[in-house]
Amino acid sequence: MPQEVGALSKVRIIDLTDERAIYGAKLLADLGADVVRPEPLEGDPLRQRGPFCNDDPDEPSLWHAFFASNRRFISLDLETQTGLDQLTGLIANAEIVLVSEGAFGTSDLDLDVAMRVNPALVWIECSSFGNEGPWKDYVAPDLVAGALGGSVSTTGDVDTPPLKAFGDLNFVVSGCYTAIAALSALYHAKETGQGQRVDVPVHQCIASCLEHVFMWYWYSDLLGPARGRALERRGSLHWSNMYVVMQAVGGTIMVTPTPDIDAQLTWLIEADEFGDLFEPEYQDPANQAQFMARLMEVLRTFVGSKDVEALFLEAQSRHAPYGWVLPIEKVGENPQLEARDWWHPYSIGEHVVKGPGTPYRFSQTPWQMKPYVETDVDAKRVLQDLGWDNDR
Amino acid sequence: MRPLEGIKVLDFTHVLAGPFATRLLGDMGADVVKINSIARATAINATNNPYYTMWNRNKRALALDMSRDEAKRIGKDLCARADVVIDNFSVGVLDRWGVGYDLVSAVNPEVIYVQMSGMGQGGPWSDFVTYAPTIHALSGLTHLTGVEGRQDIGIGFSYNDHAAGLHGAVAMLAAIQARRLTGKGQRVDLSQFEVGVNLLGPALLDLFSNGRAARPAGNRLPYDEVAPHNCYPCAGATSDDIADERWVAIACMSDDQWQELCRVMGEPEWSSAPVYDTAAGRVAAIDELDRQIGRWTAQLDAVEVMVRCQAAGIPAGVVQNSIDLAENDPQIAASDFLMTFDEPNPVIGTTYGDRLPLTFSLTPCDTYTRVRDVGEDNASVLSDWLGMDNEDVVKGENAGYFV
Repeated sequence: MPQEVGALSKVRIIDLTDERAIYGAKLLADLGADVVRPEPLEGDPLRQRGPFCNDDPDEPSLWHAFFASNRRFISLDLETQTGLDQLTGLIANAEIVLVSEGAFGTSDLDLDVAMRVNPALVWIECSSFGNEGPWKDYVAPDLVAGALGGSVSTTGDVDTPPLKAFGDLNFVVSGCYTAIAALSALYHAKETGQGQRVDVPVHQCIASCLEHVFMWYWYSDLLGPARGRALERRGSLHWSNMYVVMQAVGGTIMVTPTPDIDAQLTWLIEADEFGDLFEPEYQDPANQAQFMARLMEVLRTFVGSKDVEALFLEAQSRHAPYGWVLPIEKVGENPQLEARDWWHPYSIGEHVVKGPGTPYRFSQTPWQMKPYVETDVDAKRVLQDLGWDNDR
Repeated sequence: MRPLEGIKVLDFTHVLAGPFATRLLGDMGADVVKINSIARATAINATNNPYYTMWNRNKRALALDMSRDEAKRIGKDLCARADVVIDNFSVGVLDRWGVGYDLVSAVNPEVIYVQMSGMGQGGPWSDFVTYAPTIHALSGLTHLTGVEGRQDIGIGFSYNDHAAGLHGAVAMLAAIQARRLTGKGQRVDLSQFEVGVNLLGPALLDLFSNGRAARPAGNRLPYDEVAPHNCYPCAGATSDDIADERWVAIACMSDDQWQELCRVMGEPEWSSAPVYDTAAGRVAAIDELDRQIGRWTAQLDAVEVMVRCQAAGIPAGVVQNSIDLAENDPQIAASDFLMTFDEPNPVIGTTYGDRLPLTFSLTPCDTYTRVRDVGEDNASVLSDWLGMDNEDVVKGENAGYFV
C-alpha cells in the first residue's frame, strides 16, 4: 500500500532561488520536502509575474502558484538583527540550501559560517555563468540565457528571427540541474556526513541539453552531405530531415516515416498513394538520400488530404510516431491525461483551479499538492520549528 | 570520490531521454551498466554512431540478447542486485523480457524501478509510439513555440527528451532518498508526455482560471509587460546562408534598463517619444520599437552590441550557434566545458563531449570514460555484479546470449 508521505519527506530545504532555479525547488517541494521560501517584507517579486487569477494583477499570480508550489513562506526583514537571526536560524536548521546568485537574502549569508555550524549542509548555488570567467557578471533572463546557451539559434524559420521556446524552458533546465545537484549531494552527505557546495551555471546547463548541436559541430563530416558545422534554423524540420510538421485537413501534424520505413511504405501502398517512389531512380542504394527526400514530399501530399485526427490515430495504430499539433485548449481535454487522472485541483487563496499534475508517479510515496497561500501565514510555525517562542 | 559512488544502475534505455538520465548518474559516479546487444545496436543505437556517443559515456557495456532465455535469467539476476532499473521502451517490453516490475520487485523489494515511457503506464494512448517531436506536438509545445499564425515551427531540437531525462534523474534520486526512510523500493511511472505538458504549467492554469488559450508569442513574454524583448539582426554575416546570420537578444526587464539602452544607442530621437516611457507603452508599440532597435543593431557586430549593453547592465546576448559555442565563447572556454575523450572510439576515432555542468566542491565529477562497444565490459560487469568467472562469461558469449 502506498504510504502517505512524499519521497522527500523530512528533508528540510531553504529556497532562496529566483527564476533560474525556482523550478528545482518546486520539484523538491512537490516530492514532499519541507521547503521554506523566505521573502522580503514587500513580497517575493516573482509574485508579480503573470498570469493572474481572474486576470487581475491584484489577485494571486498563477505563475507563482505553479513555481512556488508546496512551499512555506516567511517574510524576513533583513534590515534588522532579528531578521538576520531568523535567516541564520533557518540555514542552521536546513539540510539543503538552494541559492540563486544575487537573490533575496543571499548577500547576507556566509557559506563558511553555515558549514561550520552544519558540516553536512548541502549548498546549491545557481548562477547565470558561474563564479569565474569574463561573463560572470552578465545578466541573462531566459531569452538571453537561451541565446548565449545555444537553444535560441536552433528555433525559428527562414522568415522569423531566432526564437525562444514558449515559457521559461531554459530555466526549467537549470532548475532540474539544481534539483539533481541537491539530491546527489544529499545522498553523499547521508552516506558520509559531509556536506558541500555545488555550483550550477545556467549557461553550461543549457548547452548540455541541445541534442544535435554539438554533435553536428563535432561530427558533421560523418552525418551525411556537408551542411557546415552549424545547422540553420528551419521551422519544424528536424536535423535528421525525417521529422516535420505538415498540413492536414483541420490542423497540422508532425509526420515521420521513422523508425520503420517499410511500414510507412506499406501504408502508402495500401492507400495507393506512393507516387513515383518505386521508380528505378529511387531504388539505387546510392540514391538513398534522394529517395528519403522524395518520400517526405509524397508524405506531404498524402497527409494533405487526410483529416488530422483520423490520420493521427491511424498512424499510431500502425506504430508510426506521428504527433497531432495540439493547441493548448485541446491539451486541456486530452483523453490520455483524463484517463490517467492527471489533472489536479490547485487551491490558490480563495480559488480552486484545475492545473497540471506531476511529471512522474511514485507507487509508494505519492505526490501531494498543498494549498497555495499568498501570505506568510506559515511564518509562525516555521519559527516555532526553529525553537522561537511567541515572545521572541 | 564522486557523489553517487556505490549506486548500481541497470540501464535498459535507448535513443536520448533514458540514456541522458543515466548519463547524468554515470557522470556523478554511479555504476551504470548499459544493456545492449549486437542485434539492437543499429542506426542511432550503434556504439559508433555519433548520436550514441553523445549520451552513453561513463557507462559499462553488457551485451544481453534478451530474446534468449539464458539472457533473461541473467537479466533477472542483475535486476535482483540493482539499486535502480530503468527503461524507456514502449509499455510491456521489459515484461516480455522477464524483467518487468512485478518479477523484479519480488526478488528485490528495494529496487527503484523507473519506467520512462512516452505516454505512461495505462490510458488509451499508452501504446502510442513517441519521439520528442511527437511529444512536442501533442503537449502544445509545438503549437506555442513560434509566431502568430504559424503552427509549424516548434522547438528546433529534442528538448523534451532532455527534460524527460532530467526529470528521470530527479525521480531516481528522490526514490533513493525515500528508500533511506522506508527501507523499500518503488516503481516510478514517468510519462514523457506528462513531462512536456507540465512545462506549460502557468499557461494551463491561465486556461482553466481565465479561459484564455495561449497563442504563440514569438520572443515576447505572453503574460508580462516587458519590452524590448526580442532577437535583432546584426552585421557580420559571412554568407547568405541562414546559419551564418548574426543576431543578438536584448531583454529590458525594467524601465531603468530601457533608459540605459537608450543611452547605449546614443539617445536617438525616436526613443524619446512618450509612448516608450512605460513598459505598457513600449509593449503597445512593440512592432515599431523592434524595427527601430533592429535598425541600430544591424549596423553593429553582435558581440559589440552584447558587450556594450552588458556593460550598462542591460541583458543582451549573442544568439550563439554551435561554432560560437565551441570556438568563440570565452565562458565555455574558461570553464573547460567541452572536452575530448582520452581514448579514441575503436571505429570513429576521436570523440568529444560536454562536461557535467555541475561543480561539486568536495566530490568533483571529472572522470570521463568513452562510450564502450557492445559487450566490451561483459567480464567485469558479470564478475562484479554476479561473481561470474571469466570461463562462464566466454561460454555465454560463444553460446550467443552475451552478444
